[in-house]
Amino acid sequence: MKNITIAALTAMALAGGAQAEEFTVGAELPLTGTLARVGSGMQEGVLVAAEVFNKTNGKHKIKIVTIDDESAPAKAVAAVEKLASQGAVAITGGYGSNNILPASDAANKLGLVYITSGGVDDSLVNSGRKNFFRINNTAGYEKAVQGLLADMGAKSVSIVFSTKEATSDLANSVQKALTAKGIKATTHSFDPAITDFKPIINKIKLQDKSEAILMVGYENDYVGILRAARVLKPPVKAMIGVWSLATPKMAAEFPDLMPNVYGTALLPFPAVFDTADGKVFADTYKALYKKEPDYLGQFGYVQSMLLFEAIARAADKGTLKKGGVAEEMRKTDRETLIGRVQFGANGDNPNFVHRMGQHQGKNIVIVWPRETATGKMVYPGLPW
Amino acid sequence: MTELILQALYSGLLQGGSYALIALGLALVFGTMRVINLAHGELVLLAAYIAYSVESGLGLNPAWAIPIALVVVSATSAGVYWIVSRIRKDREINSLILTFGIGVILTNLILLIWKADVRSTSSSWLQEAFVVGPLYSMRSELIFFVVSLLLMGGLWWWLSRSWYGRALRAVSSNRDAAKLMGIAPGRTELVSFIVAGMLAGFAGVALYSYGVIQPAYGGALTVKAFIITVLAGIGSIPGVLLGAVLLGVAEALTVTLASSALQELAGMTLFLLVLFVMPNGLMGAARRRG
Repeated sequence: MKNITIAALTAMALAGGAQAEEFTVGAELPLTGTLARVGSGMQEGVLVAAEVFNKTNGKHKIKIVTIDDESAPAKAVAAVEKLASQGAVAITGGYGSNNILPASDAANKLGLVYITSGGVDDSLVNSGRKNFFRINNTAGYEKAVQGLLADMGAKSVSIVFSTKEATSDLANSVQKALTAKGIKATTHSFDPAITDFKPIINKIKLQDKSEAILMVGYENDYVGILRAARVLKPPVKAMIGVWSLATPKMAAEFPDLMPNVYGTALLPFPAVFDTADGKVFADTYKALYKKEPDYLGQFGYVQSMLLFEAIARAADKGTLKKGGVAEEMRKTDRETLIGRVQFGANGDNPNFVHRMGQHQGKNIVIVWPRETATGKMVYPGLPW
Repeated sequence: MTELILQALYSGLLQGGSYALIALGLALVFGTMRVINLAHGELVLLAAYIAYSVESGLGLNPAWAIPIALVVVSATSAGVYWIVSRIRKDREINSLILTFGIGVILTNLILLIWKADVRSTSSSWLQEAFVVGPLYSMRSELIFFVVSLLLMGGLWWWLSRSWYGRALRAVSSNRDAAKLMGIAPGRTELVSFIVAGMLAGFAGVALYSYGVIQPAYGGALTVKAFIITVLAGIGSIPGVLLGAVLLGVAEALTVTLASSALQELAGMTLFLLVLFVMPNGLMGAARRRG
């Protein structure tokens, strides 16, 4: 009888040992409010990462608890604090530098790692926080835009940008860099609330007479600017944007506005995933959401997967509650869907360089950098 | 420079027409009931999303959404009235909180039904340029500018000539005296909300046809409509048009002559300036003098 009891207890202990250890990761994302669209896109990537991690890592499990920050900084802080109280070991997510800054500050004070791909403002990495990490930055977007303009050989550019912090930073950096290269760069800032862009485009048409228009804003701004340009037809050779523009969704929703428009793009469309990681991501994404993955999903996936891997390593070493996650994040060095990711002392990824895509028919063709291009750029090329 | 200013004036005029159409419903309810319907922007947005559904789901021109939008939005507006009419004390203040809450609920309903994506018409015909000499606009802007003028004319006629319009004005002036004259205040106020809903229906379809919509956009629409309503002078329909056009032109000229980043500031400065000089609004003072 005694032997049977010992055998049963041993079996139970072994079974318990074989059971995966579960960690709660908080996802603080804007699912309502002005950033709901991007927040929802990123959430898809976060959940795909958890699904893939849980399937492939037999030893540890990740449980995602999501709280909507309602696109508001105060709610973002409250979300982080609530996630911490619910036992989150780290935070993934956040969108919009103005939300991310206070939210990641709160996470830092609570000793939680906070990783994002939704904020490119440099102040996020310049405030000396040890627990903050991000995989993309203004510099990566700037290099891509500059590279494309250099390939085009444009001599003058009009930069139309939203007065939000991240967009202003990027526009001003690009202007400085272009001016230093002898390219005439004229800026036109606009309030995020404006809807009629005709007066700005008319200034570009009659005064700037630039070869290209660079739009630094968001989806609604791009639609407004492209519509105004389609009406006024300024004599430019290219319409270029940054995030959220060279996407299959924009091609499908605005077929008359998108032809030949450029924007940052991680992958061509139809998407081609030639790495094992990419294929797993795409298959899981399609299985969960019955659609093609987009760039928000990819960013959400990469940031979360890197975080989950760091949590697993820290758990293995028994340093999870001793700052081990941040330590493991700093040791990260691997190829991902957005290229090689490493984290500097400030938590930024110095390797990040975006790619530029162009809407060509119903497809998105990567046209910069040349080494990863999937087709030639159509230049001059306009939607009208 | 002349060409730039002419285009700015033209763009401002059209933008003013758009603002006026959005503000009309709010101005009507505010003018007749002294209720600031903070869910008005969401009602406009609801109509815009109905137009989106009609275009994307049925493949029809957004204009075909007008009948559905009128029914759905005026019914929703009647629902808002029903809730507001439950208030027994301090209606002016309590209705603010109540309609704000309704606005939040409507925003989230829109988000649930239509998701957070940016939407706008894909109709090439509506987006095509309409050119008169050096002046450019989208066809949809011009069409709905004319619609806006017609609706304002119709509303003005209805308020000043029809029995219900006069009844509304009577309730607005003195609720008790109106009752003594055989007017049922509740019913006339309900009519006011239904008409405001219909105007929001037109405004929403127009907005979808030349602008961009997102679920969170309702609050900004309400603010703009409220500014115009106050600028106009309480209850003045011509004032709404004048205020909206002034605002549109001031914004467009600011973009052209200064910076587009100052556009919203210019609008608010105009608002404060007018209220400082004419505390009753543009047409409110004129009416009082008359």
